[in-house]
Amino acid sequence: MSSLRKIIVLLLVLLAFGALRLKFERQMLTEFRDAGLMREQNHLESRDRIDQTSSAVALGGLRTLVATFLNLRAHGYFERQAWNELQDTYETIVNLAPQTRYYWETGSWHMAYNAASYYLHESSRPPLRRKELWRSSILQGRYFLERGIGNNPRDWSLHASLGHMLRDPNKLPAMRDRDAALMAAHEAYDRSVELGCFSPMLNQRLSLYCLARVRGRESEALALARTLHEDPRHHKPTLLILLYVLEFDADPDQDAGALALRIFGDAKTAYEALAHHWRGNREGYPMDGVAQGLARMEGLLGIPPLQSILGQKLAPGFNPDDWFK
Amino acid sequence: MSESTPTPAFKASHASRMVTLSLHAFTQLVRMKVFYFLAVFAVIVIGSNFFDMAQHQGPESVGANVLRNIKSWSLGAMALFAVVISIVATALLLPRDIEDRTLYTVLAKPVPRIDYLVGRLMGVLLLVFVSLAVMDLLMVAALHLRTGMVMEMQEKMAVGRGWPEEAIQSLKQETLASGVNWQLQAAVLAIFLKVAVMAAICLSVSTFSTSTLFTTVVSFLIFFIGHFQADALDFYLKGVEAGTSTFSQYLALGFSLFIPNFQLFNVVDGLVQNQPITLLMVGKLVMMACYYVLLYTLLAWWIFSDKEV
Repeated sequence: MSSLRKIIVLLLVLLAFGALRLKFERQMLTEFRDAGLMREQNHLESRDRIDQTSSAVALGGLRTLVATFLNLRAHGYFERQAWNELQDTYETIVNLAPQTRYYWETGSWHMAYNAASYYLHESSRPPLRRKELWRSSILQGRYFLERGIGNNPRDWSLHASLGHMLRDPNKLPAMRDRDAALMAAHEAYDRSVELGCFSPMLNQRLSLYCLARVRGRESEALALARTLHEDPRHHKPTLLILLYVLEFDADPDQDAGALALRIFGDAKTAYEALAHHWRGNREGYPMDGVAQGLARMEGLLGIPPLQSILGQKLAPGFNPDDWFK
Repeated sequence: MSESTPTPAFKASHASRMVTLSLHAFTQLVRMKVFYFLAVFAVIVIGSNFFDMAQHQGPESVGANVLRNIKSWSLGAMALFAVVISIVATALLLPRDIEDRTLYTVLAKPVPRIDYLVGRLMGVLLLVFVSLAVMDLLMVAALHLRTGMVMEMQEKMAVGRGWPEEAIQSLKQETLASGVNWQLQAAVLAIFLKVAVMAAICLSVSTFSTSTLFTTVVSFLIFFIGHFQADALDFYLKGVEAGTSTFSQYLALGFSLFIPNFQLFNVVDGLVQNQPITLLMVGKLVMMACYYVLLYTLLAWWIFSDKEV
């Protein structure tokens, strides 16, 4: 057979076999992508961000390998406190390995915690600039984590991490709407429990702790607190305190002393718990009935008025303006 | 001796001829000391144990990164080594057989050319299989040891933080799932299948190629271009809706038809990230790889059948 004829036959065979496999291959690709085993080809964005060699390696089906090397590079940026480069690197990393929880959590941690703390204490910039950088770092960390959840909606750990971030009193002042952030944290904890987190009881309580701080949701919080209180394993100091303040909020005319004794069991325990809550009001928990309860317990325990905790000056609440003076 | 006993005519089957040829190719390649690369692989696996990053959360984060590093680095190294070995070894086979005149000796006997080609291909695949199996063993051993260490550290930290027993058990389950599992074996299989297709393509290129260098370069090009095949097909299908020029569409379609789709075998990334794969999916991958290997081997035979050697 002549060379030309041979080439023509060869091309025709390849075409015919190509046509035969095309439909099946496409179905397989769709099936694999739906199962999360592969994703659309690397976005142009990430191809631009990584060098040619890494791009070739990523193209060869080794995206997670490139991601691990970029993670090492990002650690270097963290050590040098090069926050912009670090953020860019994590954007690329999650583009390459979007199903790896660790990268979403670490990236958001660097932004919302490490970069934010850096701007909080850094003194070379003007206060207003630092404050804006601090706020935007926290918001970027939150947004990054929320994107991680969007990519991995069934990952309980990402939901719990979002809950931890949004309920943090050091982060809350950066949020534009405090109540909305706390509500989001409450929902995130609930979702983490639904998805089978390691410590469902703890996350149920954390969910309550967030809901109790949302203004206008007191009745919902009280219902949740009562439900959790039915299980003695939930009888932790913060839960008991919140049950107390929410019960008092629901009926302010009731006897604070009787309520405290009913919930805490004895005057000494009630006094210690209420006093601790009184001192720790920086976290923004409701304080309904705490002063009344303390006054009653002090009376029962015979604490002289001069030593009353109610006479002590309370620590001021969190105000970011004070941090950047 | 007045009478000579007639030698019984030995009629080997296709299979036995192929096995003989493949074992010969395997021995030939092993003598080239290709297995030395395993030392490099061992260094990579051991090295991947030392890159644990700062952890920022509770016990669940302890060592999570290092387990992923071991899997990711090991599977990455396996894929790279296997592709390079398969292409270079296949590209070397025919020219080497011609150079040391083995090819003439073999073809002078009643050995069909298809037996020769399949035997040589099987030899390369055997080499790749053995290499992957050894690398797999090293990876599994390192991962198993490290998973145990990570679980111990996590348990210590969880107990220290007062975690309840059921939470510690859940944590252990999750860490175990990130350790040695059969999904990893599916990843290794996917690498082998991809490499088998690549070796078959390389074999068909080598039947009309004039040099080892040409075969190697063309094969690597096909390998990289093959990862864009899915893009080309997407371009063709979306181009129809987006009103792309007819010429571009047909160009993309032609590209999709001629070039194999290596993207299909890129399930390793998903598996490293603990995404589940079903047996049916693995079966489909095997089927697709067989389809490609058969097609390119037959093409190689067809080109090689009337080639003057």
